[in-house]
Amino acid sequence: MKEVDHENGGDHALQERLAKLGGAIEKKRAGSFEEDRRLAEAASVVGETGKAMALGFRALSELIAGVAVGGFIGWQIDRWSGLSPIFLLVFLMLGFAAGFWNVVKLGSGKSSTRSMYSNMNGRSG
Amino acid sequence: MVAESPIDQFVIKQVFDVGSLPVTNSAIFMIAILVVASFIMIFGTSSRALVPGRLQSLSELAYEFVASTVRGTAGQDGMRFFPMVFSLFIFVLLSNLIGIIPYTFTVTSHIIITFALAALVILTVILYGLYRHGTHFFHLFVPSGVPILLVPLIVMIEIISFISRPISLSVRLFANMLAGHITLKMFGGFVTMLLVSGSWAAYLAPIPFVFTIALTALELLVAFLQAYVFAILTSVYLNDAIHPGH
Repeated sequence: MKEVDHENGGDHALQERLAKLGGAIEKKRAGSFEEDRRLAEAASVVGETGKAMALGFRALSELIAGVAVGGFIGWQIDRWSGLSPIFLLVFLMLGFAAGFWNVVKLGSGKSSTRSMYSNMNGRSG
Repeated sequence: MVAESPIDQFVIKQVFDVGSLPVTNSAIFMIAILVVASFIMIFGTSSRALVPGRLQSLSELAYEFVASTVRGTAGQDGMRFFPMVFSLFIFVLLSNLIGIIPYTFTVTSHIIITFALAALVILTVILYGLYRHGTHFFHLFVPSGVPILLVPLIVMIEIISFISRPISLSVRLFANMLAGHITLKMFGGFVTMLLVSGSWAAYLAPIPFVFTIALTALELLVAFLQAYVFAILTSVYLNDAIHPGH
């Protein structure tokens, strides 16, 4: 930006300018790193919120689907057997249990049923 | 006065006929999804550059993402189902993403579509489980290490829990897309309603407009997440078919 003194002390001036430039680059880099870090942090927060939201929707739909399927089976058996509310009530309970069981499996992070049971019995799955 | 109902966007219209076969807007968008997916995958993989271009890195990212999902949940054995999981993921993802563009139709906002996809998944699980393990597949419903007295109850619960899988899989995707699009349309409708009200209320119009923008961003996230959830649950269920008593 400034004119360079070619006559005397050119080398010295050059050194000084290089040092200054280096400092400037260093500063800029630190700033952009800071910015990158902040961006990454924001992205991970958004991702985590999204994951939590997806998990919540999963739990909700498992519960609803369990009750709905149980209720439907009970209602259908009632229609066939003519024992009107009995099977509906029983299967609604079973459906709720199934939905809840799915949510428990979801929360434990285990998709397979057997390892859950063996865990409950104190054995290693 | 703009008084379009927020559920008008889901109406299926017959656009034209091919012979006696009616072609609806839903069918047109499904074909569009296939065309876009084929374009990305065919042109993305045709150059096979060492340093990938945009399309190539897009297709490679999609492949790596789904492959790691399948490997992580169903193991190396599950990779034989990779084509199916990948197709499902890309179809759902593109359908959700295309649906965000204004004036388009969201294929996955109809439960018959999502239920057909979920039925495909669960039928594959049952058929492959029976083919590979025979009656041993039913050990899925009879876990070991349960007191004899409880077995009938547990079996009932496990069967209901299995039947509820396609229901929850399809309802979750459909409900998410439906609810998101209705909310977007409502907030968009608020903007026009406030603007044409002709009173001081018109000054409030930017508030729902800002919400519309934020909701669009949220919908983008939901579109991706629901496709991801669909893919990961497909591989979880397939894992049950590969290792039923595990």
